[in-house]
Amino acid sequence: MTTAVRLTHVTKTFGAHTAVEDLSLEVPTGSVYGFIGPNGSGKTTTIRMILHIFHPDSGSVEVLGTATSRAANDRIGYLPEERGLYKKMTVKRVLTYYAGLKGMNTADARGLIDTWLERMNLGEWANRKVEVLSKGMAQKIQFISAVLARPELLILDEPFSGLDPVNLEVIHEAIVELRQRGTTIIFSTHDMATAEKMCDSIFMIYKGRKVLDGTLDSIQSRYGEDTIRLRLNGSVDPLKGLEGVTLVRDQGRYQEVRYAGDPQDLLRALVAKTEVRLFEVTRPSLHDIFIRIARPETGEAADHE
Amino acid sequence: MNKVLRVAVTEYLTAVRSKAFLIGIIMLPVLMFGGLIVAQLTKDKVDLKDRRFAVIDRSGKMYEAIARRAEERNRNGIFNGQDGADPKQIRPRFLPQVFEKPETESRTVELVLSEQVRAGELFAFLVIGKDILNTKGEGDTEVAYYTETPTFTDLPGWIEQAVNEEVMAHRFTEAEVDQALVKRLTRHTPVKRLGLAALSDTGELIKAKEENKLATFGIPAISMFLLFILVMSSAPALLNTVLEEKLQKISEVLISAVTPFQLMFGKLIGAVMVSLTLSVLYLGSVVFFLARMEMLSLVPVSLFAWFLLFQLLALMIFGSVFSAIGAACSELKDAQNMMFPAMMLVMIPMFTWMPVLQAPSSTFSRVISLFPPATPMLMMLRIAIPPGPPWWEIALAVVLTTGFMLLCVWASAKIFRVGILSQGQTPTFKKLLVWIISR
Repeated sequence: MTTAVRLTHVTKTFGAHTAVEDLSLEVPTGSVYGFIGPNGSGKTTTIRMILHIFHPDSGSVEVLGTATSRAANDRIGYLPEERGLYKKMTVKRVLTYYAGLKGMNTADARGLIDTWLERMNLGEWANRKVEVLSKGMAQKIQFISAVLARPELLILDEPFSGLDPVNLEVIHEAIVELRQRGTTIIFSTHDMATAEKMCDSIFMIYKGRKVLDGTLDSIQSRYGEDTIRLRLNGSVDPLKGLEGVTLVRDQGRYQEVRYAGDPQDLLRALVAKTEVRLFEVTRPSLHDIFIRIARPETGEAADHE
Repeated sequence: MNKVLRVAVTEYLTAVRSKAFLIGIIMLPVLMFGGLIVAQLTKDKVDLKDRRFAVIDRSGKMYEAIARRAEERNRNGIFNGQDGADPKQIRPRFLPQVFEKPETESRTVELVLSEQVRAGELFAFLVIGKDILNTKGEGDTEVAYYTETPTFTDLPGWIEQAVNEEVMAHRFTEAEVDQALVKRLTRHTPVKRLGLAALSDTGELIKAKEENKLATFGIPAISMFLLFILVMSSAPALLNTVLEEKLQKISEVLISAVTPFQLMFGKLIGAVMVSLTLSVLYLGSVVFFLARMEMLSLVPVSLFAWFLLFQLLALMIFGSVFSAIGAACSELKDAQNMMFPAMMLVMIPMFTWMPVLQAPSSTFSRVISLFPPATPMLMMLRIAIPPGPPWWEIALAVVLTTGFMLLCVWASAKIFRVGILSQGQTPTFKKLLVWIISR
């Protein structure tokens, strides 16, 4: 198995602030790798180092077999979290320009643009200005701009934000297809359900340090089967006063709790008090793992630099 | 295609396809010559309503003369093309009328006439002191003009001249001096303004030519202002496009594909191309008109070459500075604040061009035109004024400015590199310096 991205003991500081500290990471070719972490934890800095926009203070960054230069950039597609399209340009011109900057010649780009626009149901918008597009359409155009030059490595930062279910499905299918064609995908998101669903491996960065790295399975098994999903008939009051119970999440229709002890003891205790409609012993979701790590301070820090 | 070129071409096409560019092409001549054209067009559109004015002649000796002169003017002085077949009135008639009761107490007279002016029966009135013809200037010699419309200066101007000529004639007569003799003795002697004489190659004397206002003042001033306008129409626009890309998060997409330097340099080249396009358009039309008016020989060909060279240097200097400012800021307001010092540099020639034009080889002119930010425009001005500065000054200016240009591009590229992806607070000048000297 070859490696698309290899970071070795990478540290990056901005003034007194350490954005990324001693980070090592390997993204295998052809995999979908989820990047998660709270705002300001160093995700964007890591991505920018992979794009060689930033150079690490120490350590090395090797992308698609090239180290410390932007030579690989033409083979990388990048969809930044904040969308950027020229409002006054037509859809086709923006896409041709972006493809050109990736080293594609205009004739090749034009044919591909038509194909992609058709596929995204945007064929009739090709010659309209970007400013008249809806948010969802602009999002799809931005996605096309990232994948147009047939990248070997595709970095997607929140590709689904702001999309309705129909458009979400269109982009989702496109990503799945790119993956089948062998594109390596780095997928940065705050949506843990999507990350669970789409990623082969998950990497979590917190305060500049790697806190999780591996397949979803291996990560979840590290946290064990300590989560209990339950639904009681009536209020959640019977849970109160039970020794060893911590409420993780009240989902409204059901509650997730952690119990220090044998789950069977908890079940017996509850049955004695009320009617139990649902009682499931399960592994923590990625969401819970994320919160367990980042809970102490998830305050909105600006996504710096 | 090279990425720098790709950026440049896109910038160029976006600029020249915009409405602002078309409007800009039209606006420049409109701004420069519009006033003249409008003045020419509206020359005949004056208000020809008769201007009636009352005269209170306390001396009792002036009214007749004023009325006679007004009549003469109304007959001969208000038409154009008198020699042609179709005289057309181009100025209003002046109609004086004597005020019937000059004995009335002065305050009341003024009030009565003021009311008449307010009611629109009169345009103005004139009060002539009773001792107006006193040769020693003693007594009540005042002449006062009252009106509700002080902005119409033709009438009081004409009255002043008429009254003065009459009074002077009277004084000469009183002193028994012949009017005709006075006229002859006080006639004006004009001074002819010439260039310098020279020897031709064949040893013949080339006589000095009469000074040509267009060549000595017009061409230098126009070249400098045209240069100024061309720079102003392209360089600050870079600040806007860079800032817009930054605010709309386009920079991040671009920077993932090209290096910040490629991006900035591409934009600079795009701006230079836009400006050169304008230059070709304007210089082309200048040449066309000069050729039509057979005055092309007034502009040496080398002047065009200098113009293009200085345009290029000025654009690279100010273009890079303005793009760096755009990249460093995250808000339009901050950018405008930061733009101010750069704008002052652009404006130096505007503050100093008059003394330079008057004395192109003074120490002040030489020093200020060798100050790199001001060199392109001021050296252009000096070169355009015959005979021009010595060659070594021009060479020094080009060397200094080229060096300064390279410094600006280098420093701007450093700022651009860090600034383009930074968010939030706009950096201080100290911080910018840190960005420049950082690795």
